[in-house]
Amino acid sequence: MTKTLNDIPQHIVALYKAHPVCSSIRRQPKVFGDTSNFTSIDYGDVIVADNRYFVVTGHTVEGRFGVDDQPKQWVPKVVDLESGVSHILKLVFHEVFSVSVGSFTIPCYRSPEKEARILELTEDHPRFMKGKAVEDEAGNLVRILDIISGRRLDKHIYRHDCSHQEYFTAYLPAILKEYLECARAISFLHQAGFRHGDIRRDHILVEYDTGTFRWIDFDYEFYLPERPFALDLLELGNLLMYLVARGNYPPKKIVDDPGLGQKVLDTIVPDDLSLLSRNRVVNLQKLFPYIPDAMNNIFMHFSQGASVWYDTVDELVADVEQVTASL
Amino acid sequence: MADWHKILVAVDDSSLSERVLHYVGEVVGGIDKAAICLLHVYPEPPPYYFTEKHTLQEYREEKEAAARQVFNRAGQVLAGHAIGESRISTICLMATGKTFSKSILQVQKEGDFGTVVLGKRGISKAEEFLFGSVSNAVIRECHDFTVWVVS
Repeated sequence: MTKTLNDIPQHIVALYKAHPVCSSIRRQPKVFGDTSNFTSIDYGDVIVADNRYFVVTGHTVEGRFGVDDQPKQWVPKVVDLESGVSHILKLVFHEVFSVSVGSFTIPCYRSPEKEARILELTEDHPRFMKGKAVEDEAGNLVRILDIISGRRLDKHIYRHDCSHQEYFTAYLPAILKEYLECARAISFLHQAGFRHGDIRRDHILVEYDTGTFRWIDFDYEFYLPERPFALDLLELGNLLMYLVARGNYPPKKIVDDPGLGQKVLDTIVPDDLSLLSRNRVVNLQKLFPYIPDAMNNIFMHFSQGASVWYDTVDELVADVEQVTASL
Repeated sequence: MADWHKILVAVDDSSLSERVLHYVGEVVGGIDKAAICLLHVYPEPPPYYFTEKHTLQEYREEKEAAARQVFNRAGQVLAGHAIGESRISTICLMATGKTFSKSILQVQKEGDFGTVVLGKRGISKAEEFLFGSVSNAVIRECHDFTVWVVS
């Protein structure tokens, strides 16, 4: 049976009525102690979890894949009515799908349990988002996440309007130091038997006040029984190259770049391309000749020409540490 | 060094496995001392398996039934090389919390097998990076025993 404000304590109702949401909602708000049917939960409704009352103020959006502003209905933005603190809730959404990595398809799924366990594991780790997992009245694992006041990493690296060379010399060393901390954090997960599962450039937030890089969103899980950490490792490599180049460089972008053009593209051979994507150049030294050999050698571990590759994040970290120290 | 006549052969239902068994049969069929243990390793169920209301017990029963068929077929292939049932044993296990290669290495160690025989599929670099190569992983880790890789 659908609950309403009549079913919750009076002092909470008073707090709800004082909240700005109340004045903009044109219907009777609903109260959800069971979040199983999350698609029914809308702006202005109240979610009860952890003996707390959260008013829904919006939904987060998926904005990276050309489906801008696609709301994620299982991830409402909320305010704790009693504390006034904003949070993001992640509700249970057991989605099973396939991700394409190059020409391969990998079975992937959302695992609220895994994310809950990582939240617990990394409670005191500064490189991960913080939160608490609790069961709602139907036993769904609701994750109550603290909001990180920060900017997406892929936006962060474009803060300075400067040439790539200036970015490389003036800003990249500090970025790589933070990257290294994040990579070590992934190693910490792997040693505990967990994967991040969805390492992407927009899954690191850079705190506004401290500049600290922090991982978010670890509910993706995938199925690679023989190389369980390979996808995390691959994506850490891709992220490193994205940070160094300040973007990805598919052949078309090279042609269109007035500083590079067809002349540079003509120097690219198949071995310079990514092991898993022929649309990505990883031999970045051919685009930016001031990239040191030692750094470029790291990238070439992810190339079609590679004869050896990294088996663990620690191996990658050791090489990046060495290169970063010499920048 | 473990006794090489104790031979652990990793098998599944592929045609490659059948070629592996023929190879083993050709090589050791006439050697009475050679004892063969057929090993079938299967993966843990993908976790979403459970969200579809299946149980681990169901999964195990399904995989063990499949393994029995693999072992029966393997027995027939080996019989064709004069290797009788008395020289063949079987192990079927789930790679619980570990990779296939680690599971094979664990069985080798526990059984003190002197020879491990594996098939090699012939995969691309990209496949090896993402999905791994059991044979390469076993070769990298092998100490005090012999590995035969049949391609």
